[in-house]
Amino acid sequence: MAQIRLKNISKRWNNFVGVDNFNLDIADREFLVLLGPSGCGKTTTMRMIAGLEDITEGEIWIGDRMVNKLEPKDRDISMVFQSYGLYPNMTVYENIRFPLKVRKVPQDQHHERVMKAAAMVELEPFLERRPAALSGGQRQRVALARAIVREPNAFLMDEPLSNLDAKLRVSTRAQIKNLHHTLKTTTIYVTHDQIEAMTLADRVVVMNKGLVQQVGTPMEIYDRPANTFVAGFIGSPAMNLVPGSVENGVFTAQGIRIEGLPSTTKGPVTLGFRAEDATLAQGQGQIEAPIYSVELLGEATMLSMRVAGELVSIKVAKDYRAEIGETAAIAIPAAACHLFDQSTGTRIGA
Amino acid sequence: MSETLAHKRPAGLNVLIYGFIVFWVILAAFPFLWTVWGSFKVEADFFSRESWWNALFGTNTIRQTGAAFTGDGYYGAWVTRDFWRAAGNTIVVTLFVTIISLTFGTLGGYALARSGRNYAFWILIAALIFRAMPHITLVSGYLLPFFQLNIWGVLPTSIIVLVAINQPFTLWMLHSFFLSIPKDLDESAMVDGCTRFQAFRLVIMPVMWPGVVTTGLFSFLLGYNDFAVTAMLLSADNQTMVPKISSFLGSVQEAGNVMYAVAAVVSATVPLFILVLFFQRQIVSGLTAGAVKG
Repeated sequence: MAQIRLKNISKRWNNFVGVDNFNLDIADREFLVLLGPSGCGKTTTMRMIAGLEDITEGEIWIGDRMVNKLEPKDRDISMVFQSYGLYPNMTVYENIRFPLKVRKVPQDQHHERVMKAAAMVELEPFLERRPAALSGGQRQRVALARAIVREPNAFLMDEPLSNLDAKLRVSTRAQIKNLHHTLKTTTIYVTHDQIEAMTLADRVVVMNKGLVQQVGTPMEIYDRPANTFVAGFIGSPAMNLVPGSVENGVFTAQGIRIEGLPSTTKGPVTLGFRAEDATLAQGQGQIEAPIYSVELLGEATMLSMRVAGELVSIKVAKDYRAEIGETAAIAIPAAACHLFDQSTGTRIGA
Repeated sequence: MSETLAHKRPAGLNVLIYGFIVFWVILAAFPFLWTVWGSFKVEADFFSRESWWNALFGTNTIRQTGAAFTGDGYYGAWVTRDFWRAAGNTIVVTLFVTIISLTFGTLGGYALARSGRNYAFWILIAALIFRAMPHITLVSGYLLPFFQLNIWGVLPTSIIVLVAINQPFTLWMLHSFFLSIPKDLDESAMVDGCTRFQAFRLVIMPVMWPGVVTTGLFSFLLGYNDFAVTAMLLSADNQTMVPKISSFLGSVQEAGNVMYAVAAVVSATVPLFILVLFFQRQIVSGLTAGAVKG
């Protein structure tokens, strides 16, 4: 168990910047998720913590040790790989036992610890099988068991769910959450799936192009995105972003007019609002535009309409029905609106 | 699958297909079978000028030895002319060539497969160029220095030269086998507590066996079948089987020597059959599958 501290971490390959000046303190027992699109540097950051990638600049501390120069084996972390990295020539039992064996844990503890780890991920019936004879979800659980068997400083998980089908992903996600609750080990989890990030994390780090965009709890990131990238990445559907201009607290663009915004801002801005914050207007609405498409989701109905050249999504009641091309009036409360600087994309106001 | 296909084909085509396969098998196997059969005859039969039926029925063999088959060729080669010593030398040479090539090949191939550096690529290209050279070009260059250093004619010298010739190939082959093993395997081993070398030994090598066996077989065959190097670099006492056979053929002034060569050829081929039969599963899986999936 340990806290992990990243001080000005950078990774460069010749001219290509993988991770740029990353600073973060990860508290003991925290579940931290690195979130971002592919190529954003999240996996590189994790691999630097694991010691699988050299650090170009900066310092990594695990507990009270600087680990920059330590081999992966000396950092006392365990890792779950996206492709699991199971040893194909060993049985499940031997796979889980392997870390104990190479770390010279006393022999008499092996069996008990392997069985305990296997029980935590419900692998007991498969201990004598080889990885080739397991399903994807079972392999994933072997990788988890191998990671938890020796109670390391921290767990690193590199997109552990991305090779599973949708249903299994949900149940394994719950299992990981529960494991973290039971073991209370510092966990760093890399994913590009914002739902995994929202459901698992104590704190989320949103990254893009090697730069940290925002660090915060899932709700902070959802409710107060720091810039248009985070706004457009988090949420399903992502936040609607409409370019326009604001003057005297009134935002206007083609097909949209919202009053009651803070009057401190002036000029061109990007307006953001979430699909679920919009409602059907009684009478005149803030948006009046023809419907582009109607999608029935079951628990709600999703409208798309074109506003100021952008397609925006509006979530309305599940029994709402309309024809494509009809004009709909949509109400958006000013309090649910976010304003971003149009050139830099950063958030305006608190 | 193939059975249903065979049913669908017209009978004439089937006859043609199977006829061709039978013809092909005979064509490929006949020279060897003929040699095996002939090795138990005397020279007057196997190299008969009257009729080649003599080689089949052994007319002269019966006249000379009293039976239709004789082991005289084998006795002459193995006992009279010390073919056993050549066989022993061959075992020493092939064994050491295989072991040394595989040791350097696995270590080097692994390093090259896991290295992200540019020079790894150029080392492999250089290896390819040396691989493409005719063996004899290397040997002729070696001869003079070997005489001067007084290391000509002994087994270790030939072993070193054969390893040098073989190494580019083993390096290439093992390199591509290592590439087919996912990098995640080494990395998870290292995170689990292995050093780089432990990861190689405990995790990577166990899944590399098909590749090692296949490459080892090719190294073995190179050492076993080599003529250019062993003929020029070994003294008469230290000859391996292939140059020894050639020397049987070369001295025809003595009757029966050709039959020694025939018997020796058969003796030298049999171990290869056994070897391939024994390792065929590994060889096939090594040649087709590459290695294993993670």
